[in-house]
Amino acid sequence: MLVADNLTKSYRRHADAVKVLQGLNLAVAEGEFLSIVGASGSGKSTLLHLLGTLDAPDAGAIYLDGRRIDNLRGRDRDELRNKTFGFIFQFYHLLPELTALDNVLMPAYIAHSTVGWWRSRREWRRRAQELLDRVGLGHRVKHKPREMSGGEMQRAAVARALLSRPRVLLADEPTGNLDVETGREIVRLLRELNRDDGVTVVMVTHNLEIAAVTDRVVRMTHGRVAEDDPDSFQPRLMTAV
Amino acid sequence: MYKLLLCLKYLRTRYLAFVCIVSVMLGVATLIVVNGVMSGFSNKLKDRLHGILADVLVETERADGFDEPPQSMVSRIMESPAGQYVEAISPTVEVFALFQFHVRDRNGQKVPITKHVRLVGVDPAKHAQVGRFGEYVAHQKNSPAPSFALTPEAKARLERNRLFNWDEPAAEIRPAPPGQPGPGDFLKTQVQVPPQPPAFVPPPEVPPAGPPRVTGVIVGYSLCHTRYKDPKTGENLEVELLKPGDDVFLATVGASGVKPVSGTFVVADYFRSEMSEYDSSFVYVPLDELQRMRGMDDRVNALQLKLKGDLADDGMFVHEKLIPELQSLFPPTEARVVSWQQHQGPLLAAIDIERGILNLLLFMIVGVAGFSVLAIFTMIVSEKYRDIGVLKSLGASNRGVMGIFLSYGLMLAVIGCALGTGAGLLITENINEIEGWLTRRTGQQIFDRSVYYFDRIPTNVEPLAVTLINVGAIGTAVLFSILPAWRAARLHPVRALRFE
Repeated sequence: MLVADNLTKSYRRHADAVKVLQGLNLAVAEGEFLSIVGASGSGKSTLLHLLGTLDAPDAGAIYLDGRRIDNLRGRDRDELRNKTFGFIFQFYHLLPELTALDNVLMPAYIAHSTVGWWRSRREWRRRAQELLDRVGLGHRVKHKPREMSGGEMQRAAVARALLSRPRVLLADEPTGNLDVETGREIVRLLRELNRDDGVTVVMVTHNLEIAAVTDRVVRMTHGRVAEDDPDSFQPRLMTAV
Repeated sequence: MYKLLLCLKYLRTRYLAFVCIVSVMLGVATLIVVNGVMSGFSNKLKDRLHGILADVLVETERADGFDEPPQSMVSRIMESPAGQYVEAISPTVEVFALFQFHVRDRNGQKVPITKHVRLVGVDPAKHAQVGRFGEYVAHQKNSPAPSFALTPEAKARLERNRLFNWDEPAAEIRPAPPGQPGPGDFLKTQVQVPPQPPAFVPPPEVPPAGPPRVTGVIVGYSLCHTRYKDPKTGENLEVELLKPGDDVFLATVGASGVKPVSGTFVVADYFRSEMSEYDSSFVYVPLDELQRMRGMDDRVNALQLKLKGDLADDGMFVHEKLIPELQSLFPPTEARVVSWQQHQGPLLAAIDIERGILNLLLFMIVGVAGFSVLAIFTMIVSEKYRDIGVLKSLGASNRGVMGIFLSYGLMLAVIGCALGTGAGLLITENINEIEGWLTRRTGQQIFDRSVYYFDRIPTNVEPLAVTLINVGAIGTAVLFSILPAWRAARLHPVRALRFE
C-alpha cells in the first residue's frame, strides 16, 4: 500500500550536509500496524515525515497504492495530509486556543469553506463527539489543552487524527511524553483502531515494549532499514531491552 | 473556515493585538476629527467667501471703470444666450481707501484712528439679490432690501454728536503723567469708565438752507469694535468704537489719475460676515455717492452676477460654458469674467493644500499603527511556529496559513476602524463641549473666538472622507500584515513542528 523506494534525505547543519536517510526501502501493507525503532538520529522521524508528505526526499520515491506521492503539487499534498494521512505527535501539538472538540474538528475546518462547514457542521460535530467518546474524552469536549493531562491531550490528538477517516495513521513517538501506563493505553487505542477500523498504523517509538505489540517492527540504523523481520527480530529486540 | 475560527480565537486570546486595535483606532479617530473640523472651517470659509461675492464677476482693472455704462452692459448680458442663466446683476465700484474716525481717550480728548479699507459702492437692494449682503448687515439682518438710511437711534446719536460738537478736531494728545493712563488706553477707559459727554456747548445755528446732507455707510463690524481679554476675569470683552450715527471720514483716489478725493459719512449699520478679514476691511457706501466722489459719472468697475437655481454649483458648466460665453461679450482687455472661485483662487487653493498636507501628516499615525501591526504580527507568528506546522500537517495550505494572518490583520483593522470612527464622530459632534471643558480645566482658550468671530467650532463630517480614512487604515493594516503572513506561509512544516 505505502512504499518507500530508495529514499535519500540529507539536512544541512551549518556547513555540513548530514545524511539522514541513505537509500531506504520500506513497504507497508494495508491494515498493518508497523513500528519503527532505532537510535536517535537514525532517521525514523524523517522517514515518517517523508511518508506523510510533510517533507520531500532528495532522491527516491514514495508510492501510495502504486501512485507516486512525493512529487505531488502542493494542493494535492495538502489534500492527502488532510484526508488520507493522520498524524500523531510526541508533544500532542493541540492548538492551545481551541477546545478539545475544536481541535478534533480541525481537519474538517481545514477541508471546508465557511459555507461548506455550515452545511455539514452537524455531521462533523457528531463524528468528533463519537471519537472523543471513543478515546474516553466525552466529558472533556469543552476543555482546552491546558486543562487536560498529557494522556488526555494525546487521546484528543488521536481523535483529531481519525476525524477524516484516514487510511494511514503516522504516529511519531506517541508515548514518548507519557508515563508507562498512559503510553500503554494509547498503544492499546491504536491497536484497537487498527484491528477494528482497519487503519494502517506506522508508529515511530523508542519503547521496545510498546513496539512488541505491533504486527511488525522495523529497526533503522544510519538511515537504512537494518532489520525487518517480525518473527526473528522480536525476541532479540526484547533481549536488547 | 479554520481561518475565521483561528482569527476569532486569536482575537480573544492575544491581548497584544489590542495594541494594534488601539493604534488603528487612534489614527482613524484623529483623522476623522481633524477632517471634520478642517472641513467645517473650509466650508464656513467658502460659504463666507461666496457670500461676499456673487457667482460670477465681470470686472476691470481700470480705476475709472468700464467705458460702457452698467445699464448697457446688463442689457447686453441679459440679451445674450448667457442671459437665460442670470438671475440678478449688481453693478459695483470697489476701491482701496483710508478710513478715519475719532474716539475719546480717558482724558476726554479726541483721538483719530485711521485704517485702510476696501471701499465698495453698491446699490444695497440690488446687491442683496446677488449675494448674502442682506444676511450680513447687522441691524437690517435678512432684509430683502437693506439700505443706507439711518435708524431713528442713529439719527438721534448723530443729532447729539452734532449738538455737542462732538466732531471738533481733536485736541493735542499729550503723554500722560507717570502713573496716569495715557493716550491709547482709551479702550480700557471705555470698558471701565464710560466716557462722559463733554461739557455743554450751545448748539450751532441751523443754516437756513436746511439740514446738512447725511450719507450713511455700512462699516465692517471689526472696524467698529475691538476685543480684549479682561486681565481680572479672563473674559473676552468687546468694546464698541463706532456706533450707528457716528461720523467717519473716507479718502480714496479719484477715477482719473491719483487725485485724492474724500468725504464724510455717517455709520448707518455694521457689516458682519464672521470673516475676520472682511469684517475688518469692508466699508459699503451708496454706489452713486462713490461714483460722484470719485468723478466716475455712471461708470462702475465690476458687475456681480447671481446665477439661477443651483447653476453656480455646476463648476464645469460655469467654467467651460458660461464664463467663455460672457467673456465673448466683452473685449478681454477691458473686462475679465471670473467665477467667485477663480476670484478667490489662491485662498481656496491654500485651504485645500493645507487640508491635504494635514491629512498626509496625520495619516502617518495610521502608518505607525501599520508598523505596530508588523511588529506584533511578527511576534505572534514566531510564537505560533509550531501551530503553523500542526495546521500544515493537517492539510492547511500555504495560502490558507497566509490567509489566517491576513484575515487577522483585516479583523483588527476593521475593529480598530469601527472604534476609531465611533470615537472620531463622537468627538467631532461634541468638539465644542470638549473645547469648553479643556478651556475651563487648563485656563487656556483653545479656540480663540476673537480670531474667527465664530461662536462655535464649525464641523462637517463628510461620509466620503470617513470612508476613505477607513479604507486607508484597513489597507495599511492589511499591507503591514502581509510580510509576517508570508513568513508564516513559507514556513516548512517539519521545521515548524520541531521548533522549540
